[in-house]
Amino acid sequence: MRLLMTPKARLRPLSVLAAAALAISGLAACGGSDSPSDAGSATSGTVNWWGWTPTDTATAQGYIAAFNKQYPDIKVNYKLVNISDWVAALRPALASGKGPDVFDMQPGAYVTQFKSFAVDQTALAEQALGSDWKSKVAPIGISGLTADGKLTALSVGAVYAGMLWINADIFAKYDLRPPTTLAEWKNACQVLQRNKVGCFVQGAAQQGFDQDTLQSIANSVQPGLWTKVSKGEAKWTDPGIVRTLGIWKDLFDSGIMQPGAIGYQQYPDANNDFLTGKYGMIMMGTWYTQYATTKAMTAALSAAGVRDAKPFPILPVAFPDVAGAGNTSAMYGDADFGLAISTKSKARAAAETFVKWMATSAEGQQVVADQLNDLPALTSVRPNFDNVELVDPARQKEPVQQLVTTAAGVTEPRMSLLNADVQNGILAAATSVATGKATPEEAAKTLQQAAEAAGVTFQ
Amino acid sequence: MTETSTRPRRVLPQRSSTKGGGGHSGRRGPRRPPGLPWILPALVLSVGLLYYGIGYTGYISTLDWDGISPDPEHVGARNYTRIFHDPVFWAAIRHTAVFFAVTFVVQTLLGLVLAVLMHSRLRLAALYKVVIFIPVVLAPAIMAPVFRHMFAPDGELNWVLHHIGLGSLAQPWIGQTSTALPVIMFITIWEWTGVTFVLYYAAMTQIEPSVLDAARIDGAGNIRLIVSVIWPQMRGTTVALAILGAIGALKTFDVPYLVTIGGPNYATEFLGTYIYRQTIPLNHVGYGAALSVILLAVALVVALILQFASRERGA
Repeated sequence: MRLLMTPKARLRPLSVLAAAALAISGLAACGGSDSPSDAGSATSGTVNWWGWTPTDTATAQGYIAAFNKQYPDIKVNYKLVNISDWVAALRPALASGKGPDVFDMQPGAYVTQFKSFAVDQTALAEQALGSDWKSKVAPIGISGLTADGKLTALSVGAVYAGMLWINADIFAKYDLRPPTTLAEWKNACQVLQRNKVGCFVQGAAQQGFDQDTLQSIANSVQPGLWTKVSKGEAKWTDPGIVRTLGIWKDLFDSGIMQPGAIGYQQYPDANNDFLTGKYGMIMMGTWYTQYATTKAMTAALSAAGVRDAKPFPILPVAFPDVAGAGNTSAMYGDADFGLAISTKSKARAAAETFVKWMATSAEGQQVVADQLNDLPALTSVRPNFDNVELVDPARQKEPVQQLVTTAAGVTEPRMSLLNADVQNGILAAATSVATGKATPEEAAKTLQQAAEAAGVTFQ
Repeated sequence: MTETSTRPRRVLPQRSSTKGGGGHSGRRGPRRPPGLPWILPALVLSVGLLYYGIGYTGYISTLDWDGISPDPEHVGARNYTRIFHDPVFWAAIRHTAVFFAVTFVVQTLLGLVLAVLMHSRLRLAALYKVVIFIPVVLAPAIMAPVFRHMFAPDGELNWVLHHIGLGSLAQPWIGQTSTALPVIMFITIWEWTGVTFVLYYAAMTQIEPSVLDAARIDGAGNIRLIVSVIWPQMRGTTVALAILGAIGALKTFDVPYLVTIGGPNYATEFLGTYIYRQTIPLNHVGYGAALSVILLAVALVVALILQFASRERGA
């Protein structure tokens, strides 16, 4: 058989067409500059906002409704993306130019990954708050969102972790006091388990939450050590970190962690279990304050599949002194999320209006504060507890207000110092120790190697 | 005796009736139209998408790149040398081998037995066929939350064990390294046995009833019939299922990702989930591409080995 080839001349138009298509695609790839010629109207248009938080769309719709009272002609569409799918969804969307106008930004790995798609918002901050804008915003919300001198996002609010949340009804029913030491924690768990109630639930398969628990343990072992190691001022093989991993292992061996914890996700597994009253304690941060309110707790119970949801009071308590060294485990935090504006947005002016209102206006920040999902970025704004309906004000008001006050003074970073590779190494160390596949010493050594391979330099 | 053949008759092309042959020799037919325009769409699709994609992945595998930065670093074969020192990669290979061996053997056994049963005079056979095949058409994304719930520490499986007096066997099935992989294999077997069954069922319809009757006359019982008569005639189907199973095992992604996210502690990590983990959450696009190239090479080698093995046995 002989292939009958088409004469070259007939293929020439095809090759020209292909070359043209390549040239066009090449030109398209050069698009998306930082300053589009047409930014659109600042008071009308459609802004697409993608985020992993607020984790329930009702909260986001509350923000948008308040924004629309002032800017009725800007339509904001909120798209909630699960945090586990965030990178997979956002990266191609931003790269293609078909993605959001505004997107959530978190200090740490996300800033590194998405900074090139984010507009520098320094000028916007100066325009909104004046040249001394930095003095009006929580510092923790600036440093973590800045990369290569570029303010990638304006912080909407901050979150802090390093505390436990307890189900106050369960503790009252079994006459338990919040544990302050490892021994008390174990004892509380034994009491609850004897009564067929789960004690402490953690989604140990999810990196960020393991990191919170480990950082809290480390702060009990030696305050400030975790931050020093994260900065490269000490090594992950430091005896304090090895001890931290040893205590982490003890949480599993002593039955504080629920069976199968390393196969659990914090969201939705552990969160749903706690909110449905199966467990007495959970490790969550200040973002959980919203569930102290009747409205958010009812919505969360409904989302967790509880029929005829009856809200119960939750209380923040200090992380126990698990090392027995007398150190009260300090809290740590970062900007929960800033709002970044895509360099490829076709409604940049409207997007700026929305971001400015959310992050720098007193009205927007008050709405954020009253949701209790985040502590507001503006230092002058505090939650107005007259607007907040707690499930059981008599038991909750004081500890919740105390939490907000304490968090305002926190300076220890949470995630912002660690890149994705080190965070992955922390998860590997945590799960390998928990499963007994590695000793704390071995896991610490592997983690140190992972950090060095990721380019972290140690003194 | 007249010989009958089921083979389609070969249709010969009609000779040209043009006088003088029109410039063609008498043995050749009329000039055929050029083939390129006919195959061009398929050519563009396969070369443009598939082979270009493979080539581009090969190129990316030589880069240290996060997938978006404009200046990736050329690292040559460094990604490949790193892979061979990566314990998670070897764990993924081990999991794939165990997964293939177990799922293939169990699915083959179940599929064969079910096909034999359905060929016997069974009441409600049509209903059973539907029940066996339904898992094949259910999307893993829909079933994953169901299985996560079923195998949770307070899930239905443990509930049943407690209620039948086997509470001591209850455990966090997907929350411990020893049982997570078996759970993934169980879900896969549940999902794909329907396909094995259908292929064996179809293949068995090709067996001449007279062969089975002859075996019966010679005194073969049911087991003997399956082992010595039916099973040998299923070789082609079994080889095809083995190739599909091996490639499927290498490509496994959805069930472990949706049910265990490759964990706990990488206990259910496969090449597919590891490529995703490296490429998307960790942004090691070059490393992920190198893993993809290795996956492709392993898939080709496995398919060739299975093909040659089956040919040699067939010969």
